[in-house]
Amino acid sequence: MSGAGASRPLPARILTGLQQRIGMIAAFLMLFLLWEFAVKLFGIKEYLLPPPSKIWSEFLKRQNVVMAGAWTTLTEILGGYVLAVAISIPLAMAIAYSRFVETTIYPVIVFLQIIPKIAIAPLFIIWFGFGLFPKLLIVFLLCFFPVVVSSVAGFKSVDPDVMDFARSTGASPARMFFKIRLPQALPEIFTGLKIGAALSATAAVVAEFVASDRGLGYLLQQYNGQLETPMVFAIIVLLSAIGLAIYYLVEFIERLVIPWHVSQRPTEMTGL
Amino acid sequence: MARPVAAMSDSASSKLAEPDTPRPAAGVPVEISGVAHVFRRAGMETRALERIDLSVRAGEFVAVVGPSGCGKSTLLKIIAGLLAPAAGQVEIAGRCVAGPHTDLGIVFQSPVLLDWRTILDNVLVQIDLRGGRPAAYRDRARALLAKVGLGEFENRMPRELSGGMRQRTAIVRALIHDPPLLMMDEPFGALDALTREQMRIDLEKLWRERGQTTFFITHGISEAVALADRVIVMTPRPGRIERIIEIDLPRPRHKEVVTSRRFAEYCDEITECFMRHGVIQY
Ligand SMILES: Nc1ncnc2c1ncn2[C@@H]1O[C@H](COP(=O)(O)OP(=O)(O)OP(=O)(O)O)[C@@H](O)[C@H]1O
Ligand SMILES: [Mg+2]
Repeated sequence: MSGAGASRPLPARILTGLQQRIGMIAAFLMLFLLWEFAVKLFGIKEYLLPPPSKIWSEFLKRQNVVMAGAWTTLTEILGGYVLAVAISIPLAMAIAYSRFVETTIYPVIVFLQIIPKIAIAPLFIIWFGFGLFPKLLIVFLLCFFPVVVSSVAGFKSVDPDVMDFARSTGASPARMFFKIRLPQALPEIFTGLKIGAALSATAAVVAEFVASDRGLGYLLQQYNGQLETPMVFAIIVLLSAIGLAIYYLVEFIERLVIPWHVSQRPTEMTGL
Repeated sequence: MARPVAAMSDSASSKLAEPDTPRPAAGVPVEISGVAHVFRRAGMETRALERIDLSVRAGEFVAVVGPSGCGKSTLLKIIAGLLAPAAGQVEIAGRCVAGPHTDLGIVFQSPVLLDWRTILDNVLVQIDLRGGRPAAYRDRARALLAKVGLGEFENRMPRELSGGMRQRTAIVRALIHDPPLLMMDEPFGALDALTREQMRIDLEKLWRERGQTTFFITHGISEAVALADRVIVMTPRPGRIERIIEIDLPRPRHKEVVTSRRFAEYCDEITECFMRHGVIQY
């Protein structure tokens, strides 16, 4: 199996990818330049809006602390996300294939989804203390619902005619699943995985805001309290980069797993 | 809709013959008795079929024509065991259908291909799902694809093909395992007139070689007459059999046959049936 887009050599594809993004890169550069000069020109105070150059130099000065924090946060994000994926996809299968699970557990899940997950965060501190576990749990909670909901939709969205065809071959349940239902569900599953990925970084930072003594969220609060605005900016940029990297990692996997679907999507640059 | 599972396993477990082993002369008799169907949805009742009785001889080519919505597709699904009828029963090769009948090939009204497989793999999925060895059928699949003009497209994805090409793929998929019963639901509906004519000629040839019992649904009156041993004319919904017309024309149905007077008279007879029911008005 190979998608149409995969036939061109890789360097050529990266090059055209860059060409398509050249406008965007230029726009960002312009923005940073304007920012730098505007701050100098109007004499804006550093604790209000530091220039990009200052953000960079402050970051370099404390990069050890920041990178250690980033590592902590990344662990929480990936741990919670992987946990969410590992639990929600099998659960979605159970919901899609068992009337019993669908009528008992699924309504509860749909109901729980309405609770503002972040509001539960303080409770987790009471229950589970300060460590890694409550943070994993919050990331898990935020990623879990979108993945479950879209995977259920995916597993249920089988074309009845395709099912009729498959049944007319007398295919065993296992073949039916691996050759028809799973491939057909994958596009929607990936939609959920990407929504989850986009939420995961936010979830980890919020968890750290509530209570922690390490991680980027913790550092953000510390620097903010001390009015060290350049560091606040540095951490925000770093967090965005982590979020983006995770999102694109999932999208990259999507390209490998379901090339037939990715290449028929109209636009490539999907917004977060 | 719960269905008995027993009937599913019996033909699935019977080993799929490798393509070159000759099968005993193809074609099974089909006996439809008192089949009726009602769809119930949200309190609404749609009477789709009303008492269908029909016996199809082994190896016979039967065409069904009828106005849109008269229950032709419903009848096909009931015969194939994909839908349990509200009343009546179907016997294939002397055995009562209860659950999907698997010793057949079906072409649905839309191509229903799998987006993630190439054209060749979409044909071979028939073998794959039956637990056979797709590799053993590769050459046969290629030959059949070439025969319907898709030789160069075997490695393309379905979305890269036109609607007619996809439908031709679906036809090959229904033939690849050389089934004794072929059920086709308006298989040429999406084809252009020229391809349609060619496919009609090819189908007759294939059928004459193998002699599989063929159940062919169509909107085309002349197509039905050109292909069938018997044409079943159905009434508007709820569908009943209005007339059964024996087509006594020589085969193969070459150009001389389909332009003959007798051919035109058969077509007229069917058209008049429809006019009586107000399906066709002048
Ligand atoms: N799943 C369903 N639920 C409810 N009603 C249905 C269903 N399938 C078909 N019907 C109804 O049953 C009737 C017969 O449908 P069917 O698809 O068998 O018609 P048809 O003869 O194949 O028509 P066409 O030539 O347009 O394909 C129609 O009136 C349709 O509305
Ligand atoms: Mg139909």
